[in-house]
Amino acid sequence: MSVKDTPPTGGSTRKRRRSKAMRRISGSLALLLALCTVGLLYGALVSDKNTAVAANVDAVQVAQGKEIYQTACITCHGQNLQGVTDRGPSLVGVGQAATYFQVSTGRMPAAENGAQMPRKEPYFAPEEIDALAAFIQENGGGPVIPDGELRAPDQIAKGGELFRLNCASCHNFTGQGGALSQGKYAPNLDPATDAQIYGAMLSGPENMPKFGDGLLTSDEKRAIITFIQNNKATVDPGGYALGGFGPAPEGLVAFLVGMGAIVAATLWMGSRA
Amino acid sequence: MAGNPNLKVPDEAELAKMSREELGALGMALDGVELAEYGERYVPGSPADKRAERQVVKWFMLAALFAVLFVVAFIWWPAEYEPAYSDGQLMYALYTPVIGFTLGATILFFGIGVVSLAKKILPHEVAIQQRRIGMSDEVDRKTLAAQVLDTGDKAGIKRRGMLKGSLALAGGALGAAAIVPVLGGFIKNPWAERADSPLWVTPWAPAADGTKVRMVQIDGTPVRPEDLEAGSMATVFPAVPGGGKASDAAVMLFRLRSDSVVRIRDGQQGFQFGDYYAYSKICTHVGCPVSLYEQQTGRVLCPCHQSQFNLYEGMFPVFGPATRPLPQLPIELDDEGYFVASRDFVEAVGPGFWENGKYPAWYSEPKEASG
Repeated sequence: MSVKDTPPTGGSTRKRRRSKAMRRISGSLALLLALCTVGLLYGALVSDKNTAVAANVDAVQVAQGKEIYQTACITCHGQNLQGVTDRGPSLVGVGQAATYFQVSTGRMPAAENGAQMPRKEPYFAPEEIDALAAFIQENGGGPVIPDGELRAPDQIAKGGELFRLNCASCHNFTGQGGALSQGKYAPNLDPATDAQIYGAMLSGPENMPKFGDGLLTSDEKRAIITFIQNNKATVDPGGYALGGFGPAPEGLVAFLVGMGAIVAATLWMGSRA
Repeated sequence: MAGNPNLKVPDEAELAKMSREELGALGMALDGVELAEYGERYVPGSPADKRAERQVVKWFMLAALFAVLFVVAFIWWPAEYEPAYSDGQLMYALYTPVIGFTLGATILFFGIGVVSLAKKILPHEVAIQQRRIGMSDEVDRKTLAAQVLDTGDKAGIKRRGMLKGSLALAGGALGAAAIVPVLGGFIKNPWAERADSPLWVTPWAPAADGTKVRMVQIDGTPVRPEDLEAGSMATVFPAVPGGGKASDAAVMLFRLRSDSVVRIRDGQQGFQFGDYYAYSKICTHVGCPVSLYEQQTGRVLCPCHQSQFNLYEGMFPVFGPATRPLPQLPIELDDEGYFVASRDFVEAVGPGFWENGKYPAWYSEPKEASG
């Protein structure tokens, strides 16, 4: 963005008769005012958008992203993001959200095709991921993860309700993930950051359904993220969480360990009597 | 009548002269137990005696210490809930383990103390008791049986028919009273409302005046087509009072990609709206909510018993114990552009029951008549 839309200077269009000096002064004042307004607006809009997302198209960044795309992604996703049969899907319309999620969690670039892409150490640096996302966004369009705060600390309860309705069936009540069919799985949410969870909801990676803004508003998404992250930050009052799988493994462990200890102690006492 | 028949029971004067130890031994002898060895474990005041005492005292002191710690922790440890990210969270989280650990340690150390008291301080004793092997003597058994039967004879049970009858009645009634609360819930006629039986009618059925029921999200927001993107699934409920809690009403609304090919079941053509398909969320096996939706394979998994339904195959089960497909809800848009159910499900929702599928042989009206 630049000051290309500078408004016309007041003086030149006016038909009223005035002195030359007056017209000059009022014209320069109007120009000054317009420039200041544009400058202030630009500053206000841009200052909090420091992470490079597609909202502000930066030609240099897009070029950098294109370079990365052509070295790392083009084999499976094709020259024009159209995808390659049996290798990779089309990236038209997946947008910054999907790109950020897939690349920042290390799922892309993929090591090999399988039932599901596992999370691993990200291959690209954060600036490279942003550049790549800008390139994909610029060329295919699609959903964008908003900037700024992705949590709503006063909405934990609502987030919990929405999490249990929409997410818990696959990701487990404590976000530990779980098995799906034929080697696929819903991943554990422990390593996921706010932006990654937001991006996953927006883009529906792999077999996860999409939760667009019509289904879960951005406020509801923030509430869900708050609930997930709050869960992770909560110290378990019972001590060791046993993977957060709920009462069945807890009961099993209590029975095996507790009863085992009692039986062992009884046998030991009997042998010493 | 156990005991030693050869033992002479001492008279009162002799008893008065006996020491406590002698009296104790006499009591055991009367019960047929002979003390072979008995006495203090260690010489009183000897180093071994003092060491044994110290060992027992140590456990009781520990038990007392942890009991005091428990009381202190119970009263003063911060038990008030502290949310995540607050500094006091760890202390709060430790409350339960701390009181559990201190009270458990108290009981454990007290128990160890009592056991070691028995082993190290109580008198050393070796007692011998003769034990009978096999069943009782013939005379013992005969006399006991005679005693029991004679009690019945003397009470005149045989001639008191009224008593026997009332006793049987009371017993039977008591048994019935115990069973009724358990079985009573099953005594219900699901067909009392005939074609409007709750087994066949869900809250999606249009109202009596023909008003079709809108689909709403859990917070009551009505659903429009543009709310769902391709690859989305929403759990929706009927916009009627109690619709969000009705056990047979939860429905999954899917929007598929426009190039998806879906098998349409016979007689259910036109139930979908464009790429939008609505299916019951209640598993046809035992009624768990199926909502593990794999948007690429089109499979919907049930978390309870791993049944899998394939959306592209008309929601027929492809794996697991479920045998019937998930019922499809016919949907359309109302004049404001929100999704409504065109009519109720055309088949029963949820797990099977005896009469399922036998309709209309059971009653004369076909199911559609209920709408």
